[in-house]
Amino acid sequence: MNENEKLSPFHIAVLVFMSQMGIVVFTLPNSLAVYFGTNGWLFLLICFVVSTINIYFISLVFRLGKGRSVFEILERSIPKAVLYPVYIGLASVWILFGSMIGKKYVLLFQMMAFPTTNPMVIKLAIDILVYLLLIKGIYNISKAATFFFWITLWMYPLMFMFLPHFHWIRLTPFIFKEGHDMVKGGVDIYASFLGYELFILLFPYMDQKKKPMLAIYSGNAFVTFIYIWYSLTCFGLFSLKQLKKLLFPLLDLQALLRFPFVERLENLLFGFYLFLVLITVVMYLLAAQEAVRRITPIAKSHFFVFITIAVGYGISYIPKSIDQVNDWIMKLGYTVTGIGFGIPIIAILVLLIQGKGGQSHV
Amino acid sequence: MKQTPDVTLNFQHIFHQFEHCVDLVHRTFPEIHTDILYFPNLISKIAFSSMILEPFANIQLQEVDELFKQSQFVEVFHSKEAVVGVLEGKAAIFNQGKVFLIDIYGPKDRNIEQSGTETVITGPHDSFGESVSTNLSLIRRRLKSSHLKVIEYSVGEVTKSKIYILYIDGLANMNFVKELEHRIKIIEIDAVNEGGVLAQLIEDKPNSIFPQYLRTERPDSAVSKLVDGRIIMLVENSPTAISAPSSFFEFFSSPDDYYQRWTLGTALRLLRFLALLITITFTALYVSVTTYHYEMIPESLLMTLVESRNRVPFPPVYEALLMETMIELLREAGARLPTKIAQTIGIVGGIVIGQAAVQAGLTSNVLIIAVASSAIASFVIPSYVMSASLRLMRFGLIIMAGIWGNLGLIMGVALIIIHISGLTSLGAPYLIPVAPMKGTDWKDIFIRAPFSQLKNRPYQTKSPNQVRQKIRK
Repeated sequence: MNENEKLSPFHIAVLVFMSQMGIVVFTLPNSLAVYFGTNGWLFLLICFVVSTINIYFISLVFRLGKGRSVFEILERSIPKAVLYPVYIGLASVWILFGSMIGKKYVLLFQMMAFPTTNPMVIKLAIDILVYLLLIKGIYNISKAATFFFWITLWMYPLMFMFLPHFHWIRLTPFIFKEGHDMVKGGVDIYASFLGYELFILLFPYMDQKKKPMLAIYSGNAFVTFIYIWYSLTCFGLFSLKQLKKLLFPLLDLQALLRFPFVERLENLLFGFYLFLVLITVVMYLLAAQEAVRRITPIAKSHFFVFITIAVGYGISYIPKSIDQVNDWIMKLGYTVTGIGFGIPIIAILVLLIQGKGGQSHV
Repeated sequence: MKQTPDVTLNFQHIFHQFEHCVDLVHRTFPEIHTDILYFPNLISKIAFSSMILEPFANIQLQEVDELFKQSQFVEVFHSKEAVVGVLEGKAAIFNQGKVFLIDIYGPKDRNIEQSGTETVITGPHDSFGESVSTNLSLIRRRLKSSHLKVIEYSVGEVTKSKIYILYIDGLANMNFVKELEHRIKIIEIDAVNEGGVLAQLIEDKPNSIFPQYLRTERPDSAVSKLVDGRIIMLVENSPTAISAPSSFFEFFSSPDDYYQRWTLGTALRLLRFLALLITITFTALYVSVTTYHYEMIPESLLMTLVESRNRVPFPPVYEALLMETMIELLREAGARLPTKIAQTIGIVGGIVIGQAAVQAGLTSNVLIIAVASSAIASFVIPSYVMSASLRLMRFGLIIMAGIWGNLGLIMGVALIIIHISGLTSLGAPYLIPVAPMKGTDWKDIFIRAPFSQLKNRPYQTKSPNQVRQKIRK
């Protein structure tokens, strides 16, 4: 990457949005209805507040560390012998999480259109795209993400077509009734906001003169807006009982879209989600690459990228059904959420200790 | 400091260099002990007569030294210089051990004609030709500024073609100029016959399917690029000017957009981007829908589609590839044949494809419409080079759509975007102003805003003087 090439706030915001947004929107209204019941979409506001707090922690690290890489901050106070295994752990979780998201997308597409095709063949094709994107480096990834963003933006206003059928009465005046397991569900749903937490690793690539943290807040706000926009529409179009039964309410909705020349757009629209999934997967693998780079410079090479993707591909053979993949994603999601809060909190503590003249291991 | 002539600098040696060159002429003027060597096909007869014949015929022996002191006679001190001079259309004059060159270059050129590949409806119709001096003149007469700088390079070990780099001092970013000079200097090749060859030699990614420099045959277009802060390259004996750096979206604008009212210009721009979408995806979408996603077709249309396809024995992907290849054959035949025969080919091809293929049950009517729309849309794109690249990519997308339907199509598009987002033109991002995002430049890319709104030069040029105009309105 050229030294002059830094991620501008717009690109950071787009990258954050593209990393967070994904196929989870298809199941989100169902999960909200199942776990939180009436007006479950309101829980997204809570998620927004929590993620904003998490981003605030990240911005604190940015401010206290004066834009230094979070790895540098940690390595100044914590011995490498402790940190390196942690890096390996982080990288493993991120690789697994990225691969499972890819696998879930493939399984869903297989379910919709290609019941007889081996999903791993489709996964292979997607992984090739991931590889080609990943070897280009963060700056070109952000360029591709921006392009993807613009060519997927038309999908969101399609929801306007359902407005005539939207009835506020379906929302009911009750809040969070008929739900269950709200804590488990809450953490589960919060996983759909994940993606922003990776940006703590990308400080060195950001144009630090131009408010990069505001960009992360904006990306997160936009993704919340889209989630609420989709979920609210679903809550106003379906009854709560319907929503609880429909596994992919958004797909069912999109199947209702009709134009003079074309209808049943859900297939094509789901295809467009590939752009979002690609960026999400790439960002997780990029984070893994960044972590391993602290241990060995080999992580920068194309070979390492190949190995990373190959390992992810190999592991994604294990879960066979969507349920199994969901289970993996749920468990990994808990871990990734923990990491998302853990890294900034530890970094802030380390920075505070360093600020007080704590011992340095450099 | 007076230079000493090298030992080989004599008539015999230089004449020997041109052994077996029957087109070389050797004339002697015994009264003034002078010999002349030149290629009559490279020189201007009028210049030869007025600058050599007349003075030499009317001169006395003792006045010869005075004559050669005139500035048009340039003394050379190395035989190689003399040989190169003669090859460049100069006359080598040998007088009493001294050698002079006089520039009387002026071969017959094609007249200034209309551009064959970049026509406009309104606006100037002149286009570049093979004579680089005419081309330079076409630019100079439009751009009356001493800030227009021209640097000359010679490329091609055998052809020694001259290359001119043009830029406007104060508007062009000198880092780009230096980078371009560097790339030209390191070229080592036997021949550079055309601007298209030079463009490929100095591209950032020569293996990419996308052209990374815009080429134009239109002087008005070249001048507008210069004023944007871009650099123009002209190659001797080539009507193609190369503009650098270029952005992908620049290939979709035509000078016509600026010569018409902005509303029309904007409509045309949008139409071209629609054409881009149609040309790369329409046939592939047909394949995808008819192979995997019949549910996407509304019921009323479905009957027509099924009826038109029920006699076709091939899967849609073969059918589409067959027709696309047919169209490409027709296009290529039309391009290679003389105009009159090309028209016949067009009619014959049109009948064969339009009627016979459908009646014979080889293809469906709807596919003909899809293929024809894609082909027409590709010709809407003003740059022939870009349109050719896009047509080639279409084949890839059709195959992908044939394998995995909509998903395959989207994967193909993703692949293209991933590739294109890594491209640069002279080191500047190729996808600018979309990625990296420069919203203010969108006014002159996707639309053609009124001139009062086009305040700045394109961001890609990184011009030291960004402000283009200060219209107060």
